[in-house]
Amino acid sequence: MSIGALELDLEVFTGPFDLLLTLVLREEVDLLELQLAEVVLAYLDHLEQRGELDLETATEFIVLIAALLELKSRLMLMGEEEQELDIEPEQAAEELLARMLDARRYRSAAAHLGELLARERGVRFREAPLPAKLRRTIVAPAEGSYDAQALGEAMGRLLLMPPQIDLRHVAVPRVAVSERLALLRGLLRRGAFSFEEAVRGADRMTVAVTLFALLELYKRGEADWQQGESFGEIAVHSPQAAMPAGAATLASAGGLAG
Amino acid sequence: MSDAQGPDDAPRLARTIESLLFLSTDPLSTAELAEATQAGEGAVATALALLSERHAPGRSGIALRELGGGWTLASDPDSEDAARRLFSRPRVSTLTPAQAETLAIVAYLQPVSRPEITRIRGVSADSAVATLLDRGLIEEAGHSQFGAVVYRTTTQFLKLFGLRTLDELPDVARWDPTPEEQAELRDRLLKAGEARAS
Repeated sequence: MSIGALELDLEVFTGPFDLLLTLVLREEVDLLELQLAEVVLAYLDHLEQRGELDLETATEFIVLIAALLELKSRLMLMGEEEQELDIEPEQAAEELLARMLDARRYRSAAAHLGELLARERGVRFREAPLPAKLRRTIVAPAEGSYDAQALGEAMGRLLLMPPQIDLRHVAVPRVAVSERLALLRGLLRRGAFSFEEAVRGADRMTVAVTLFALLELYKRGEADWQQGESFGEIAVHSPQAAMPAGAATLASAGGLAG
Repeated sequence: MSDAQGPDDAPRLARTIESLLFLSTDPLSTAELAEATQAGEGAVATALALLSERHAPGRSGIALRELGGGWTLASDPDSEDAARRLFSRPRVSTLTPAQAETLAIVAYLQPVSRPEITRIRGVSADSAVATLLDRGLIEEAGHSQFGAVVYRTTTQFLKLFGLRTLDELPDVARWDPTPEEQAELRDRLLKAGEARAS
């Protein structure tokens, strides 16, 4: 059986394959609407029914279906493709020509290089490098400075526990309570003062000791103080001269300063 | 640093230059020789002329050659057989066609990238490029604007091929086919193209 007699029952066409081809070529059946896969499936069904593969028929079918596929894909890509196809062969040929000329050019140049090499056959040059001592830049000392031993030593130093730091030489500031007492008594003698005045510019240790001294004065009944608010100014005055007004003034002044 | 040297100084300068050339593995330019010898370039040129006379073919086992942008001493080709027996290794192994083509493309189009070499040859040039690099005939010369490594030929290339400078390479256009041959080739290509298109 020729492939043309293959009966098809497709969506857009019912009849033998060769009639389909004729109609497609006459553009009476729109190739774009034809599902070529259906044709292939129909052929496969037909093959299954026959139970044997006729190579000649199979080849014929493959050629025809391939042609249809190509035709259909061209139709689908119509438009800009049309123009490109016009100039493409020429362009392609030009490009190919340019490439062939390029390749040929450098193949010939390569042959020429081969001749040059052959001409120079038997010529040898010194290959020994210049003796180190004659070089302008001497490389050897630079090479020698990298010693594996140095790496090991560096690592070893890192693994050692560092010695305990000796703090004996660091002088610990000593502030005597008696000194601060004397200072506070001196200030008290001149009248009321704020704690801030007594410790202006002093370090933390001195401030703390001065506070102890102030507590000591209070314990002995030599001084009294007032603090309007937390962290506010401490107004210090003698207990005898307890003048609430003055203290209040000091406190408010301290509050402003704070 | 002056050319005002007595005529007696020329042989002395020639001897000095001969020593320098003997010590150097790379070709030395006239300028380099002038700087090293503290002589003028004119005096160096005179001394080199004297040297080349002394080393004229057939007179000496050492030839004075102007190669790779400078002057260098080379062995007399007549001694090659003996040298080969002494060193047991050929001076330089020959180039395969692929290597020769790749080298030709680099020599003419340098700096040139590997993709470009591949495009011209139509086949990959990776192995040839690697061999040429290995043999010191070409070297890397930076990157193209697209980031590909570009290659150029080396002084070693000039030395081995007996070239003073790259300018001594003949114009590559001399191997182009004649206009008639080109026209014929174009026709054949077009016909083949049409046959395929129809």
